[in-house]
Amino acid sequence: MTIPTDSYTKNFASEATVNQVSQFLGYEAMLLDERRFWDWFALLDDEIIYQVPLRTVREFGKDEFPPNAWRQRDNKAMMETRIKRLFTGSAWAEDPPSRTVRSVGSLLVEVSDEPNIVVVHSTVTLYRHRAQDEQGDLIAARRRDRMRLTEDGLRLLARTVILADTVMTTPNLAVIL
Amino acid sequence: MSTSTIRMSMGPAGMDNLLERVAEGLPQGLLPVEVFNDEDVFQAEMQQIFAKAWVFVAHESEIRNNGDYVLRRIGLDPVIVTRDDAGEIRVMSNYCRHRGAQVCQSDHGNTSHFRCSYHGWTFKNNGDWAGAPHSKEAYGGRLDGREWGLLRAPRIDTHQGFIFASLSEEGPTLKEFLGDAAWVLDTICGLHPGGMRVIGVPERTKIRGDWKSGAENFSGDGYHIDTLHFGNEQTNYAAGLRQNNDVANSLVLDGGHAFLCHSFVDMFGPFGEFSGYPQHIKERFDLSSLDEAQREFARERPPSIGNIFPNLGFIRFPAPAEPGGAPAVFTSFRQFQPLGPGMMEMWNWQFTFEFMNDEESIPGYTTGQYNFSSAGLFEQDDTVAWEGARSVAQSVWNRKAQTNLHFQQGFGSNIERPADPTWRGPGVFRRNGYGEFGQMNFYAQWLNMLQKRK
Repeated sequence: MTIPTDSYTKNFASEATVNQVSQFLGYEAMLLDERRFWDWFALLDDEIIYQVPLRTVREFGKDEFPPNAWRQRDNKAMMETRIKRLFTGSAWAEDPPSRTVRSVGSLLVEVSDEPNIVVVHSTVTLYRHRAQDEQGDLIAARRRDRMRLTEDGLRLLARTVILADTVMTTPNLAVIL
Repeated sequence: MSTSTIRMSMGPAGMDNLLERVAEGLPQGLLPVEVFNDEDVFQAEMQQIFAKAWVFVAHESEIRNNGDYVLRRIGLDPVIVTRDDAGEIRVMSNYCRHRGAQVCQSDHGNTSHFRCSYHGWTFKNNGDWAGAPHSKEAYGGRLDGREWGLLRAPRIDTHQGFIFASLSEEGPTLKEFLGDAAWVLDTICGLHPGGMRVIGVPERTKIRGDWKSGAENFSGDGYHIDTLHFGNEQTNYAAGLRQNNDVANSLVLDGGHAFLCHSFVDMFGPFGEFSGYPQHIKERFDLSSLDEAQREFARERPPSIGNIFPNLGFIRFPAPAEPGGAPAVFTSFRQFQPLGPGMMEMWNWQFTFEFMNDEESIPGYTTGQYNFSSAGLFEQDDTVAWEGARSVAQSVWNRKAQTNLHFQQGFGSNIERPADPTWRGPGVFRRNGYGEFGQMNFYAQWLNMLQKRK
């Protein structure tokens, strides 16, 4: 889950690509906060794997991510069903829906071995004020994405969401990160 | 749902009164709202239930090797569950005997010793005091290993690899405590003599609901499925949710344990035998450790949802790993960990059979997490529904009105079914998912244990 330090500068993407990725992340953040889920879904590559691994508390230097352990791991069909459900009127974890505000930052864009695929590191802090809760919840995560550069713009090919929480403090992951 | 920050507590006299109301109410299918969120109720539960009952702490497959450990809880107490250097399972209080600092701060790992970070007192992985820095100068030599060792749970026992601990030196044995739930657990795990194992690590999520809301739901609430979870039928991911209770059976056992058992064969035909496991897995099942009644049970109407008192939930269901794809069967054990009045952590372990390798187990794991996890298409909605009971329990108006919640479904009404006379297993088996018999049975045991507080 860590980037080799020697890739720090030599793999930087071009300024034009960074700009394109930055606009993409801003756009998808807006779509998700405005609940335009199908518009967001249109940004997913057919091969999308969206995953949120489970994390454990370990001593410094030990692996915090056991194999075969995740909260969520969706391919495109699974994500499509998830979004369909939000529109049924009976997806009660998100109906009434949370008011969400997400800040995306710490952007780092790297080229990859494959042409037209970039590796994107970012952080997201999501404030989620759900239904009539007295207080909102904060979800903080680091994301590692792979994006495909296509003629129609960027498409999200893979997203790994690394939560800061080991015990999640928002009652469910009915929101997209 | 409003989440009140006011903490109501009723005091000892209030508790006496409440338990009397529960005792009067239960035979009529009534339960006072206060039980779901009250300081005194919670304290009584910690002392009378969690410090006495056999509480699940880990599965043996999580600590296969000597030195393996996992950090767990019994009620609010953090415990280290280890396999010590001699291969013995130990359950120890995670508090240093010197100044009470936590000696283990890692969720899992392997170690021969736990060394406290404060002054360096060190304990063997069986809990014995092993040493301290400058022990000659500081203590004139070694301390007694057991006298100053970590507290050990007085009783530990296992069944089907499930490790249970009791903080009470007296009381029923694990075998007596599980009673006929052991027979059901044997059926669940015994589709192969090798039993089951944990995949990955438990998933943990803090939920604004009382632990009992989870436990009672898994004790037999088939009734919520086609309302709370109906969105999954609307998306065409799941089918037949409305008929769910018609093909469900309720199994109520002594000791507060209860299960729902689904007649998957009636739903899906022969494919539904043995919970609908794919043919290539069914072919490898070996029922030699099961008796005739268990074999029929597993084949025709297997346990699908349940709760082993007090807080070990279970669910095994067939569902597509991805929409429109081939069904896989998942097995999850889950624990409704009390965190405070009206607050819990949901711990969710996905299991697979020991005879299946990781690769073969992935479809079941994927299906399980897609349906029953913090992100699960079914479970995410439960987390919201359970917020109600903890909230009404703090309602001044409802406390003043002495509001009872309604548990009278099938209770002396025309849908109440007699026990199935053809049932060959233990307990009361009803050929119907309606009724709240399992929930009532859970609260009867809850009351039984709280009444012993004097």
